Amino acid sequence: MARPARETAGLLDTELDGLPPDLRWREWMTRVEAVIFASPEPVTRDLLARIVGTSCSIDLLIEDVCNELAARPYEIVTVAGGWQFRTRPRQADVLKAAFGTAVAAEISAGEMLVLVSIAYHQPVTRAALSDMLGREVSRDTIGQLRRQDLIASGPRAPQPGAPYTYVTTRKFLDQFGLETLRDLPDLEALEDAGLLDKEKLLAGDLPGVCR
Amino acid sequence: MNRQAAPQPATPQTVPRVPAWAVPRGPVESDVEAAYLAGGALNSLDILARSGAPWLAAWRHRLALKAAAATLKRLRRPEDEAALRDAWVLRQPGDALGPAGNVLLAWRKLAGRSLPLSFEDLQTVADLLGVNSSAAFGGLLAGIADDARAGLPAPLVAARAGAAVLRENPQAETVAWWVADLALSWRMGWSPAVPILAGQMHMPILRTGPDRRRGRPGDQEFERGACLAAALGAAEACRLAAGMAQQAERLRAVEPKLRSKAAGGVIALLMTDDAVSGSLTTGTMTRWASRRLFERLHQFEAVRELSGRAAFRLYGL
Repeated sequence: MARPARETAGLLDTELDGLPPDLRWREWMTRVEAVIFASPEPVTRDLLARIVGTSCSIDLLIEDVCNELAARPYEIVTVAGGWQFRTRPRQADVLKAAFGTAVAAEISAGEMLVLVSIAYHQPVTRAALSDMLGREVSRDTIGQLRRQDLIASGPRAPQPGAPYTYVTTRKFLDQFGLETLRDLPDLEALEDAGLLDKEKLLAGDLPGVCR
Repeated sequence: MNRQAAPQPATPQTVPRVPAWAVPRGPVESDVEAAYLAGGALNSLDILARSGAPWLAAWRHRLALKAAAATLKRLRRPEDEAALRDAWVLRQPGDALGPAGNVLLAWRKLAGRSLPLSFEDLQTVADLLGVNSSAAFGGLLAGIADDARAGLPAPLVAARAGAAVLRENPQAETVAWWVADLALSWRMGWSPAVPILAGQMHMPILRTGPDRRRGRPGDQEFERGACLAAALGAAEACRLAAGMAQQAERLRAVEPKLRSKAAGGVIALLMTDDAVSGSLTTGTMTRWASRRLFERLHQFEAVRELSGRAAFRLYGL
C-alpha cells in the first residue's frame, strides 16, 4: 500500500534494507515500543507509520510487542484511536495502596462555574447553561464533572431533541460540605454584601470557591 | 361523527361537595367555628375518599402534585405544577429527579402507599425533602398512632404531629406539613393517604398569629390553622374530584369506540396516575400507537392535555 511521503524519511532510515529480516523486525518493534512509551498521549497509527518501513504491518508489530510484555505488570492498550502503555487492571489495588484513592483531577475554575450554575438552577440543560453563562459549555466540561460523579443526568427537558438535564449528586454535597441544597449560599444576600460580582464570575474568577 | 351517544352529563350527586357553609370565607377568630367548618368539610371528603371510585388514585396523585408545588413555593424554588409534572413523566429509569422532583416523589409516596408507613419511609421522605433525617423522628409515628387511637379530632392529631416534627428540628417545616397530612389521613382511616393540608399552606386565612405571619405547624394558634386548612383543603379536593369524575365518566363512555387493543391498559393508567406521556411506550403499544390513541381520546374530549405544548404532550383526567 502506498504511503504518503514522509518528512522524516531523510533523517531516519525506516526501511532498514541493510539488515536481515529478523533483525529488521526486531528493530521496528523496539522503535514502536519506544515511541509509545515516551508519548504522554495515545499514539496513533499515522505516527507509527512514520518510523517503520512501508512494508510492515503495524498491527502485527504491536501484537509481537504485547506478547513480549506478557509477564510485565503493564501492557499496551488501544484507547481513543491509538495505543498507550497502561498498568494492568490487576495492579489497581496495589496502586491505590501506594498513592491513595484520591487521584481525582482538580476542578478548574471554568468547570466550577458550570458546576455552580447547575447546583443553583438544576435541573438544567447544557443549552440553558450556555445561555446563562454567555458561552458554550462543552460536552467535555459536562463529561469531566460527570466522571467525578459531581453531577448526574436528570429528567429530559420537553424541548426539541429531548436534551438531558443535569442535577447535582450526593457526592457534590459531600465534597462541598453541604447537608442539603438549601445550604447553598443565598446569591442575593451575597450580592448585597458585595461578596459576589456577576461580571467577575462570568470572567471565570471565582473568589474562594475552589478548595 | 356520531355524537348521539354522547356521554350523559356527569351526575353531580355521585361526587359529594363541601357545602358552602363549611368553607371559610374570611378570617376565623374562634377555635370552635374553625372546628365546626373542618368537621363539615371533612365529612364530605370522607364520603368521597371511601366511595371507591376508579379514578381516586389519579385524584390522590394530583393532590400530591399540588402539595409538592406548595412545598416548593415554601422552599422558594421556581418550579410550578407543570414543571413538576414534566420532571416526573419525562424522566427515564435511573435518572436522578433533581431537588424539585424529589419533593414530588416524597408526596407521591404519601399518596401512593397504603398506611401505616414505616420509620424507614419517614427517613426516606425527610431525605427527599432535603431535611437531615435524624433518629429523633423515631417516636413520631408511635405518637400519631396513640393520638389516633385516643380518638382525638383529625385536625388536632395533624397539628400535634406537625408540631412534634418542628420541636425536633425547627428547620423541617416541609417534613412537618408532610407528617401533618399523614396524621390527618391516618386518623380519618384513609389508606392511601389523601394530602390536603400542605396545599393550603400559603392561604391568607391561615395567617392566624398575632403578627399575621404565615401559619406553620408548631405555632400557638396552629390547631385552629389546621382546622381551617382541612376545611379549605377538603373543599378544593372535592372540587377537583368533581372535575375529574366528569372526565372519567366521559372516558368510560368513549371506551367502546376505541379500536386500539391496548386502550384498556391506557385507560387504567389514566385512572391511576396524574398524567400520562403522549408518547407512552408499553409492551403492547408503540409510541405512535399511543399517540394516535391519545389524539382520538382528545377528539372525544375524554382526556385533557395538561402541558399546553405541541410536543411532549401529557394527558390526564
